[in-house]
Amino acid sequence: MTSDTERTKRFNELAEAYSTDLYRYAMWICHNDALAKDLVQETFLRAWRALDSLKDVGAAKSWLITILRREYARTFERKVPKFTDVDKVVVVDNDELGPDERTERDLLRKGIMRLEPKYRDPLLLQVVFGHSCEEISEQLGTSKSAVMTQLFRAREKLKVQLQKDGVTGNVHELF
Amino acid sequence: MSMSFSEFKRLIGADPWNRDPETLRARNSAPEFETAAAEAEAFEEKLQSALHVQPPAGLLDEIKGMSQQQPAQRRNWMPLALAASLLIAVGAVGMVWKQSRQWDSVEAYLADHYSHDGDALVAGATDIVSEQEVMRIMASLNASADQQLSGRIKFIKFCPTPEGRGAHMVVSTDQGPMTIIFMPKTQVTNGEMVTFDQMHAFLIDLEHGSAAIIGKQSQAVENMEAMIRESLKTGLVGA
Repeated sequence: MTSDTERTKRFNELAEAYSTDLYRYAMWICHNDALAKDLVQETFLRAWRALDSLKDVGAAKSWLITILRREYARTFERKVPKFTDVDKVVVVDNDELGPDERTERDLLRKGIMRLEPKYRDPLLLQVVFGHSCEEISEQLGTSKSAVMTQLFRAREKLKVQLQKDGVTGNVHELF
Repeated sequence: MSMSFSEFKRLIGADPWNRDPETLRARNSAPEFETAAAEAEAFEEKLQSALHVQPPAGLLDEIKGMSQQQPAQRRNWMPLALAASLLIAVGAVGMVWKQSRQWDSVEAYLADHYSHDGDALVAGATDIVSEQEVMRIMASLNASADQQLSGRIKFIKFCPTPEGRGAHMVVSTDQGPMTIIFMPKTQVTNGEMVTFDQMHAFLIDLEHGSAAIIGKQSQAVENMEAMIRESLKTGLVGA
């Protein structure tokens, strides 16, 4: 196998493994499907260019997230994205969900969109990518205890937001 | 010393799937701990479901296609950039140019800037940008675009130019998407055609600044000149 073929194979494996999660992450940080797609494409274009610098395959996920976050910061500086109604984005629907559960899910989505980045970012890294608190602290350059506080508060804020948005009943019954 | 309930709730609130021995012991220590853990896990499943959005169809194929479209250029960029610069230099006779700190010529700037993300932006531009967004960016550059131009802009962003900030646009045309770089303070020789990589750019000197219409070499980029001249008004405020 030539080195070009190996390189392409390696790149394609990264794309298959991480493009979906990167798109989800991008979608929830920029709230815009077109920009999310653009961010993911730009992330992989940069990854393709710099692929030879990735020595540790185990670090690929964090490496790609870092590229995407930097590109997002640059993009956001120069172009404020149009807000996308998340309901218009194609989602994986769970047919088993009843009307009440769908309402809860929609309210949760709205709550996630309202979260401040300092709460939203660690939450997305944990839930979308399955990062541990240690990995999140390395990714965001902050302490593990700060990450744990942000994660706890993020969830509490979502619960409070759900109550505000009209989910009736005891919040503890829901969560 | 056993973990308090409030500390336990804080731990599972931060990481509902926490399985370290101390947390597991606490979980099994009393019914209220067990109930709180079950609630936290139930909430987590709802959270995962809520975050589960589907990527657009074809995204993976488009990403994989990048390695086919840009096999060696991305990898050994410097030698190709040098070759492109040499090629550009040959065609640069007669160019009016003010020296910049970053690029030696407009051609070098265009080759460098377009190779950065030009193809990806063309590939990713799908929807017409709102007129409000176009106006916002244009106004900050002391320019405006009428409906004839703004109605076909599928992507717009601020971008660096040889002399200050400009705008990078992807526009739809009857020949397919083209890129327009508006350079508010850069002078060029009107009608110059610049070639780089597998693209070419037609330069237009505007009343204030200039524009480059970039497309594939199979596209007649010069055909867009009249529309750009008519639609892109420059130097509106204090220029």
